Amino acid sequence: MKTMLKLLFLSLVACVSETAIAAAATSPAEKLKVVTTIPDLADITNQIGGDRVDVMSICKGRENAHAVSVKPSHLVAMSKCDMFVEVGLSLELAFVPGLLESCRNEKIQPGKPAFVNCSLGWEAIEVPASLSRQAGDVHPHGNPHMNLDPRAGRHIAGRVFEALVAIDSASKVAYQKRYDDYLAKLTEAEKRWSEIGTKWKGEKIIEYHQEYRYFAHSRGIDVIGTVETKPGVPPTPNHIAHVIDLIKRERVKVIVTAIWSNNATVRRIAEESGAIVLEIPNMCGGLPGTETWIGMMDVLHKRFAGAFGTTVPSK
Amino acid sequence: MGQVNRFTSLFNPAFSFILDTVGDYTDNQRTRDGFDARLRVFELAANAWVDPNAWAYFIGAAEEESVNIEEAAIHYLGFGGHRTLRAGRFFVDFGKQMQLHVHELRTLERPLVLRAYLGDESKGDGLQWDDWTSIGDSTALRWSIGVFSSLLPEEEEDFDPETTAAQELASTKHGADFNYTARLTGFTDVGSSGTLQLGASARAIPRYAFLYSPAANPDQTDDDLSNVVYGLDLTYGWVGDTGEQRWTTGVEALANTGDNGANIDQTTQTLNPSFDDDVLGYVAWTDYQFNRYHSVGAQFSALELPDGNKSDESEVEVFYSRQLSEYLRMRLVVSDFESDANDDALRVAVQLTAILGTHGHGLNW
Repeated sequence: MKTMLKLLFLSLVACVSETAIAAAATSPAEKLKVVTTIPDLADITNQIGGDRVDVMSICKGRENAHAVSVKPSHLVAMSKCDMFVEVGLSLELAFVPGLLESCRNEKIQPGKPAFVNCSLGWEAIEVPASLSRQAGDVHPHGNPHMNLDPRAGRHIAGRVFEALVAIDSASKVAYQKRYDDYLAKLTEAEKRWSEIGTKWKGEKIIEYHQEYRYFAHSRGIDVIGTVETKPGVPPTPNHIAHVIDLIKRERVKVIVTAIWSNNATVRRIAEESGAIVLEIPNMCGGLPGTETWIGMMDVLHKRFAGAFGTTVPSK
Repeated sequence: MGQVNRFTSLFNPAFSFILDTVGDYTDNQRTRDGFDARLRVFELAANAWVDPNAWAYFIGAAEEESVNIEEAAIHYLGFGGHRTLRAGRFFVDFGKQMQLHVHELRTLERPLVLRAYLGDESKGDGLQWDDWTSIGDSTALRWSIGVFSSLLPEEEEDFDPETTAAQELASTKHGADFNYTARLTGFTDVGSSGTLQLGASARAIPRYAFLYSPAANPDQTDDDLSNVVYGLDLTYGWVGDTGEQRWTTGVEALANTGDNGANIDQTTQTLNPSFDDDVLGYVAWTDYQFNRYHSVGAQFSALELPDGNKSDESEVEVFYSRQLSEYLRMRLVVSDFESDANDDALRVAVQLTAILGTHGHGLNW
């Protein structure tokens, strides 16, 4: 009995001391610690937060965002951060729920101002009419790869700006200035991208995974098939033969793949069909020049232009 | 439209089903030879928040001809910080592979040393307190203490039905009537691609008895026995830059101490006094994932049997797993079992496992 009382006492001491340390650590002069799921969100948060934020991205630029391995540093960062930013649309389903559950950071739980779901207010495409695994690994709220839409930077920036102001209103003026500056950069970039993409309407592509639908949709590119049988389902020999036949029949020039999905199957289809493989980033940091979201969009447009044989206007 | 998680569903609670099927061929030295096919486990699970501070889950499993409540527990989070009080029936927090259900294991069977020292599954009715803290920016340290009514392993089918290890389960108990578990584990990043985990675990049964009751000589007991199993585990994981290639390797060493076995004199039908020689065993494993769909691996386990003679037993398993999709897995396993005390056996098995609905057992600490 004495031993049990000692254990209870030690547990209570641990509770009290941990709470006191946490309270002492909070200081208005400190930077906001922000954790984002993908580097695109980290860049945009940095653009608006400037020196008021210290941002970490869980996912790296070359990774498949659907299958991220959780590391101790992710858990520690989530437990200490002041703001959490995700794409949403269940893109991060493989790792965010477990981290949110284990980190026990009340500030960043869904519904709180510091939990930022960037897909709020976004009009998703490919929202399934009915939910069945017969359709593959479908996302119930629609295609989650909204970060690859040239219009997404503006939307994400708005969501991040609102959240920063909500949790750090004292720095509102600084955030507002940086937000306005970023919107101005986006306006310039959007004009540039629009000029490059104007000649792609009606071009046909095959993609490995349904990642580039928003991008294609914005430029009038026709995605006529995927290497995956269904989202998240690897290709069968029969399906590979079908894709090769489709490429030849429809005279498709380009097979689009992200870095994580550029594999032997893609190369084999390209060799047998005569199409070229276009490896492009699906997140910031995956390729040189893509460290910022605007830089990534520039690279995407240049690579598509190269693949389609269209020109890129000089800046 | 927030993040969909294991607790959100069109229904509340969120339900899931697991179907784990196995077909195999066993080449056994003396006894069972030949083919078999069976539904190994049908698991039904439900998860739901009870209130803002607690969530609860239930996992029922039909195995062969029996239906069991595998786990049914409440997680109370209202103490704040990273503390959790878990109450109900659940798998004990021991090492890396005892917390897992069989369909979640990296290969077909739980490692031989865990089966021998802790049981095919080690679950109990009780309470567990756990907490974690961070050291620096890339290390997490977690500990847990559990108190259970009984953690004696369930008897195997071919075990002599007249002989059981048992505890007197009184309605009120004192310290030595309970069973205890403890685990301390640290996780840390190793560079930008690796993680390292080191853990220490213990399971203590302070008081139990062997009961033997043949018709000719009934009600024999060997009581006031105690047993403690200690474990040390080390796991290293590496993930390639795209997240598709992964390599995991680990080792877990166990010491089974105290009164860990008894035998019966079949001629006189008497229960001999239990033996208390400490026995040691270990399991080592490695697996490599080429991409999301293909992985291969091997697991080797060796141990001293708690049979009074410290007879050696070992099992090696080589496996290939094919994720046909995220929720459907096919696995091919070849295993070789060698024993000084039992029949050697070679087994070739094909396992097909399907997950229907939302599914999750939380992080594997």
